[in-house]
Amino acid sequence: MHPRDPRSSQFRPGLGGVVLHGAAPLLGIVALALVMDLLVAPLLPEAWYAKVLADIGINIVLAVSLNMVNGFTGQFSIGHAGFMAIGGYTAAAVVYYGSIALWGDAGFHGGYFSYCGLGHFNGPWFGGGDLLFVAACLIGGLVAAVVGVFVGLPSIRLRGDYLAIVTLGFGEIVRILIQQTPGVLPPESAATVPAPGRYLHLGGALGFTNHPFYTTIFWIWLAVGATVLVAWRLRNSTYGRAFLSIREDEIAAAAMGVPILLYKVMAFTFAAFFAGIAGGLFAHQLGSTLNPADLGFAKSFDILIMIVLGGLGSISGAILAAAGLTILPELLRNPPHVWPLLVPVVPIALALLLYRRRRLARGWGILAGGIVLLEIARDLAVAHGVQLSDYRMVFYALSLILVMILRPEGLLGTRELWELWPRKRKGGAGVRASS
Amino acid sequence: MVSPLFELRHVSLAFGGLKAVDRVDLALPAGGLHGLIGPNGAGKTTVFNLITGIYRPDEGDLRLAGRRLNGLSPHRIAHAGIARTFQNIRIFAQLTVLDNVRVGCHVRARHTMAQAILRTAGHIAGERLIQADARALLDTFGLADHAQELAGSLPHGQQRRLEIARALATHPTLLLLDEPAAGMNPTEKAALKALIRRIRDHYQLAILLIEHDMSLVMDLCEQITVLDYGQVIARGTPPEVQNNPKVIEAYLGEPIPGASANPRAEGATRGNTKNAGTAGTAETRPEDHPGPEGGQG
Repeated sequence: MHPRDPRSSQFRPGLGGVVLHGAAPLLGIVALALVMDLLVAPLLPEAWYAKVLADIGINIVLAVSLNMVNGFTGQFSIGHAGFMAIGGYTAAAVVYYGSIALWGDAGFHGGYFSYCGLGHFNGPWFGGGDLLFVAACLIGGLVAAVVGVFVGLPSIRLRGDYLAIVTLGFGEIVRILIQQTPGVLPPESAATVPAPGRYLHLGGALGFTNHPFYTTIFWIWLAVGATVLVAWRLRNSTYGRAFLSIREDEIAAAAMGVPILLYKVMAFTFAAFFAGIAGGLFAHQLGSTLNPADLGFAKSFDILIMIVLGGLGSISGAILAAAGLTILPELLRNPPHVWPLLVPVVPIALALLLYRRRRLARGWGILAGGIVLLEIARDLAVAHGVQLSDYRMVFYALSLILVMILRPEGLLGTRELWELWPRKRKGGAGVRASS
Repeated sequence: MVSPLFELRHVSLAFGGLKAVDRVDLALPAGGLHGLIGPNGAGKTTVFNLITGIYRPDEGDLRLAGRRLNGLSPHRIAHAGIARTFQNIRIFAQLTVLDNVRVGCHVRARHTMAQAILRTAGHIAGERLIQADARALLDTFGLADHAQELAGSLPHGQQRRLEIARALATHPTLLLLDEPAAGMNPTEKAALKALIRRIRDHYQLAILLIEHDMSLVMDLCEQITVLDYGQVIARGTPPEVQNNPKVIEAYLGEPIPGASANPRAEGATRGNTKNAGTAGTAETRPEDHPGPEGGQG
């Protein structure tokens, strides 16, 4: 068939297909959030683990969104915490000063799904505070996205290390600007300061305090679902492929008609939006004091490490690495034995050796050796009462060095988890029949 | 004469003091197969980079079907209907073969990014169209069996073909091929020759070809333009060009023995290596590397 044949554009899917396509994933996201909130969180042995579950979710949002810039379009941004800070402070200001304007106090006005206090909650299912909180997070995301446009603009002229320096500088500028803001106004005197200036009372270096807490596992995992869905759909569309082509070769991408400047800035905008939402969620966690020092370049690096470790461009890799690197320090607090991992690893290594798969056997052998070393280190640390979590950064660095030596492209490279095992790929017969 | 599909009028470009392209005129009719030859460093790839918007001409006009293309950024040139391949292959190595071609189809995507994220009917229809188009191209180019392989894992000859397929996916009216036969063995070259003819006849587009393999150029092209030191030194049909003394001089040097004081003497060695068909020595010429800011337009 001649590719310029006009008749091939007449395909229209049925209404049912559209509804299914549109609604099913949204229901799936809500279901994920509900399962995490109502099933997984209560089953955790200690309430404290719920905090880890929440952190995992926020880190997944951050990692998957940064992956849109660094993984999809191949730019090198290391200022992601700056967007998180902008979103977080915007959301906190909207919730705090909004609560004062609406209800005259800065207390909790949410419903069941926003309740993150201790003890039983016997309020309504939904409250006005829920709406305020969700709106605040979205506003935080939008403000961050607008800033993202301006941070993305230098990428027109800069690339690689130079863009990294610009984004690093951006993150630090945001942090320092927030540190210069005056203290949070108490509810009584908030009304005495005129509106635009009022919202700039963000607490400065002391941090934003006394705002109500709304962030629950439910909201976090709702955001996780939405972020992953958008990232996934974006990547598996013609726009996502255009983004990836910029990463692969800018000159060739432009010659194929990809507007690289526009798409680079768009990647920044998307990433900033979701980072802003993650910031809003981060800001309203139980007991949180929103402090600019927590949102400096160390946080940006944490997120960067996650996506590099997971494999730049891989969505499932970013999710896995975000979860793994969030759990790791918690495991180090009270390290479990690691030798049980040898039970599967050693036979696999031996079997590979037996079948003369030298390269694979070596990899698994290194893994077994690593487990032995970890076990020795763990036992020594426990015997001497060393708090391993103090050496969190050392383990970070070591694991990064190991990954960079053994798998320089990250755990999954640019692939997804389920693409690791070779199999018959779909997408052939059905589509070809229609062409 | 009918007005040509594509025209370069007096186009010049200088890098500092070096006139890389000097008042070049070139005209292609629709469906024409035109060769652009010349010794190494003659400015051929620079002409391509000028046409595709990587460089802006200092003077002169670029016209496609009457429309002036000067100063348009590379992606707008692609939208206007000019596609190209590259001298050093620039496929998207970490994308699959199918995705490489689908990126080429991106220029024609009618659905918006919002539609893609919401997975609307427009998105589904648009993606199907792209998929069908890309599959058809892969079939034509004998790459259908490799559709899901990473493009970087293909052998050299297939990467070249993939690059052409990707360029055709933009549905150009003018296709620029930059040394498509470089690094190919005689069998592959014969297949390429047939392929280029088939592309021209099947898609009815004009092809402008840079090539160092003279037998390929002479067999394929209807018209040939010869460049040397950025200037057009000859043009015409293959036999005319072959017998043009200026061309012979540019390639082989002046036929006066012992003329070492003449700057052309150095040109002689250039030409000779090229005639032997070794195209791989062109790596260090400035024209091969559009530079980091090149793609930004």
